[in-house]
Amino acid sequence: MPGMWWVVGALLVLGLVSAYLTWTSGRVQRLQVRADSAARALDAHLLRRAAAAAVLAEQRYGVELYAAARIALDAAPEEREAAENDLTRQLRAVRLDPDDAACAAVIAASRRLALARQVHTDLVRDARSARSRPVVRLFRMGRGREWPRYFDIDDPTVVPRADVTTG
Amino acid sequence: MRIGIVCPYSFDVPGGVQNHVMDLAEALLGLGHEVSVLAPADEDAPLPPYVVSAGRAVPLPYNGSVARIAFGPVSTARVRRWITRGDFDVLHVHEPLTPSLSMLAVLCARGPVVATFHTAMTRSRVLSAAQGVLRIVLERITARIAVSALARKVQVEHMDGGAVEIPNGVTVAKFAGVAPLPDWPGECAPGAGGTLGFLGRFTEPRKGFPILRDAFVALAPRRPGLRLLVAGPGDADELYGRFPAELRDRVTFLGLVSEADKARMLRSAHLYVAPNTGGESFGMILTEALAAGTTVVASDLDAFRRVLDGGRAGRLFPTGDAVALGAALTELLDDEGQRAGLTAAGDQVVANFDWPVVARRVLEVYAAAIEATDGRVMDQEWAGLG
Repeated sequence: MPGMWWVVGALLVLGLVSAYLTWTSGRVQRLQVRADSAARALDAHLLRRAAAAAVLAEQRYGVELYAAARIALDAAPEEREAAENDLTRQLRAVRLDPDDAACAAVIAASRRLALARQVHTDLVRDARSARSRPVVRLFRMGRGREWPRYFDIDDPTVVPRADVTTG
Repeated sequence: MRIGIVCPYSFDVPGGVQNHVMDLAEALLGLGHEVSVLAPADEDAPLPPYVVSAGRAVPLPYNGSVARIAFGPVSTARVRRWITRGDFDVLHVHEPLTPSLSMLAVLCARGPVVATFHTAMTRSRVLSAAQGVLRIVLERITARIAVSALARKVQVEHMDGGAVEIPNGVTVAKFAGVAPLPDWPGECAPGAGGTLGFLGRFTEPRKGFPILRDAFVALAPRRPGLRLLVAGPGDADELYGRFPAELRDRVTFLGLVSEADKARMLRSAHLYVAPNTGGESFGMILTEALAAGTTVVASDLDAFRRVLDGGRAGRLFPTGDAVALGAALTELLDDEGQRAGLTAAGDQVVANFDWPVVARRVLEVYAAAIEATDGRVMDQEWAGLG
């Protein structure tokens, strides 16, 4: 009965297609969840750096650095990238002595922030490229979740300068 | 932290990646972490206690050389079992884009995965052909490390992703304070004496041995007592055949040396010469020479310039220029003060490449990968980063 083979064949194809779609949808979900986690970690590291900078500003360097740290802590989402870049510029302008506790905290926080930023950028790129695939768009697999956003800031790494005394 | 490291190549054969994995594992253990390394190995091979065997490796030609790797259903089962039993906080795989244990581990893993890329594969045809499969592997990696600027560049250009650049480490303690070979390095005074060192395959054009030979042949007749110490694989007759008969007794060939003798050999020279013409992605040997406290003279390659801090920690000469090399050698052999200055700067530079320091930077990447997986930030103390 050739008709039955058609049915079996069609069912087989249907099964394969649905397995592929389930797998793809799981993959998109997973990447999306991971990008969201990376964004939370990045947010925490931004707060930590700003807090460390504020402590340093209170001990020395004063008003300008403190203001930059405060603005970074309080910035609205749409102004945050600019505020964080401004804080990076302020931190680069001051002398950071790795032997001083407050300076060392800022240096360490900046280094961890640089890593968090790098990982976040990679994971957002993975998630976005998965979501922009035609089959994902066609079946609207990412619906209910916002597209992961890049957080576009300059490299926050600061170079410690041990050879100069802090003032 | 509980750390699982996967090495794709068998420990039976020495190699850069294997050495890197062992040194990293030992440095992490030294910092108080729990480490398990999964690697292919023969059942009866003697292994360090922290290494778990994943079975025998089979030789397979890959990317222009022969890699001994393990791949297939049996290996997959072992990888799965090791991951389940290990209950790792983070999984660290090396070279995950070759079909190997590392790739299997990435595909089996659920939690945070850190990957280190060693080779700078500039031929990207293999990569672009299997882009779909590699995509799936790359997607499961949380954070990437590249050991050289070149390896990082390949990441950025061919696999659209960034990578944190963390150089290869060197165990400074293994090189510093080792006794030189008996009767070496000998006298070195203005106008006379001095020992030049070279380590590597002298027949390989990229190592640039002919440039050092030309400089030595031009210099030796004018400088009594100048000697050349060569170590590395190759045939002694072939090496001596490259020198005029009257200079042959001033060339000493050690052949292939062990890791311990390598340190002694490096300390037996006044100047270590790296005349490479290209292809060196990092310049491991330079950090080793610096750790041994030997003054380095190297060609002006990008990788070498970075290791030598732009020439502060060692002398750079225009790549391939034997005359310039000769002039630099004469100047440094005549001037002990200048050698001491370069060596002192070298000590500072090499401190950044010491394994415990490098391992702490790797730990920070582990922390970043774990944080990106569950979104919570960990304390310095918890991660053992302090």
